[in-house]
Amino acid sequence: MIASLPRLHAVTDDRVVGEGRIVERATAMAAAAGPLLAVQLRTRTLAGGAFLALARGLAQALKPHGAWLAVSDRADVARAAGAQIVVSGRGGMSVADVRRVAGQALVGRSVHTALEARAAADNDADFVIAGAVYATASHPDMKPAGPELVRGAAKAGLPVVAIGGLTPERTGAVIAAGAWGVAAIRALWDAPDPEAAARAFLTALPGGDAIGVVVNGEARRTSRGTTLAGLLAELRLDPRTVVVEHNRHIVRRDALAGVTLAEGDQVELVHFVGGG
Amino acid sequence: MATMVTAPAVRDTPLALGGRIFRSRLLVGTGKYKDNATMVRALEASGAEVVTVAVRRVNLDRTKEEGILHHLDPARFFLLANTAGCYTAEDAIRYARLAREAGFNEFVKLEVIGDQQTLLPDVAGLLEATKVLVKEGFRVMAYTNEDLITALRLQDAGAAAVMPLASPIGSGMGLVNPYHIRVIKSRLTVPVIVDAGVGTASDACVTMEQGVDGILMNTALAEAKDPVAMAHAMRLATEAGRTAFLAGRMPRREIAVPSSPTVGMLS
Repeated sequence: MIASLPRLHAVTDDRVVGEGRIVERATAMAAAAGPLLAVQLRTRTLAGGAFLALARGLAQALKPHGAWLAVSDRADVARAAGAQIVVSGRGGMSVADVRRVAGQALVGRSVHTALEARAAADNDADFVIAGAVYATASHPDMKPAGPELVRGAAKAGLPVVAIGGLTPERTGAVIAAGAWGVAAIRALWDAPDPEAAARAFLTALPGGDAIGVVVNGEARRTSRGTTLAGLLAELRLDPRTVVVEHNRHIVRRDALAGVTLAEGDQVELVHFVGGG
Repeated sequence: MATMVTAPAVRDTPLALGGRIFRSRLLVGTGKYKDNATMVRALEASGAEVVTVAVRRVNLDRTKEEGILHHLDPARFFLLANTAGCYTAEDAIRYARLAREAGFNEFVKLEVIGDQQTLLPDVAGLLEATKVLVKEGFRVMAYTNEDLITALRLQDAGAAAVMPLASPIGSGMGLVNPYHIRVIKSRLTVPVIVDAGVGTASDACVTMEQGVDGILMNTALAEAKDPVAMAHAMRLATEAGRTAFLAGRMPRREIAVPSSPTVGMLS
């Protein structure tokens, strides 16, 4: 299950939540990143009712893209909204208590040192969010620990999501240091085009060159550049036995290798079955 | 194999459909059989040359059934794709185009269904789809009501054959309205193939006795206790009905006419 932990975490803070348009911006990111994205709702200003309403709205918007919802601290809100992740920070509920409330959700622990990452592993967290790796406006007081923090935290054996001043340009370095993925606030939420921002991160993330397509009504990921002929090969289908419809246009057998799939493409693969 | 009575006294012309010639006037579907082996044996016993197939999504998990072409030799049977399950002209057109792309022929058994409970055709959608598909070069065989006006409109729209129903699809009620079928046959110049509703051999026989050019069935074979034997019976019934039609039946009277001479009786 942990193998499907998203690689890109779009974390909110009170400022982002206060700005509104959360669902709109999250949907744009989800359109680009699909199941590689988790939107982590973090706020200290919203009361339970408003928090849950926002979480539910997000969950609904993310679901069609296969993107995940993560909720900070409020395991109760996470459970009610059907979030796939709960992130518990310093001073927050223990991993065991979060699980008691949130049930099936993955539990992430926010850590600042390799030692805390070790403790999270000992307490059976599913992953850690480690920061601040680089200098960040969110925590101006915090001395950036650099990719070394990732390297140290990764030794605890849990997937590490790096946070703090992350940009697409810096993503390669933390991945090289052993990070599973990255989390960002400003680089995603403040971007004039959140979809493009998410895509920029993806190019530096493992598996980030994948695109989301819908084949016979089912969402699936395939690597960027895959042609229709390549898709059939992936599905182990003989092109002579199926007819291919791509975004409502029939593609002739001899043209299958010439059509490259793009994000959001709809593909129908049909054949003859018994009928009257 | 039972011995067939050969050399009928009446000479029949072959069935000409959209420029193709067929010897068998019985057309059969390939759906709902309990297994493909039974289906293939039933098709053989029916003597049918034209068999219908449906267009559906490939099962991507590859654990369930394969396509029907693994069991049907397209060189041996003439595959007639249907648009079963389509409820709008747009859907039916889409399915027809996909079917043609499979590359066997230009024929389509066009169905635009109007109601889930009766599966009766939506004739407005049917006409609309017929016009579009004929323009695209399809040979359209249009599944329709036993309604003369719709049948005429379909012929005007360029349908290669008109296929009025005997009774609703899969109902097995037999030929409910022989009069309307006769009227349609008498007024159309394109072939009239009765499609859907026959339940047993006598239904097929009575239907063919109306003078129609052919008959299409699926459920009557697939849901028979012994589909292969029923396919054989349907073959005989179709031939019997056709031959009886060509032979020309005696007039119907409401009084008795003795078969034996009335003269020469003992006094």
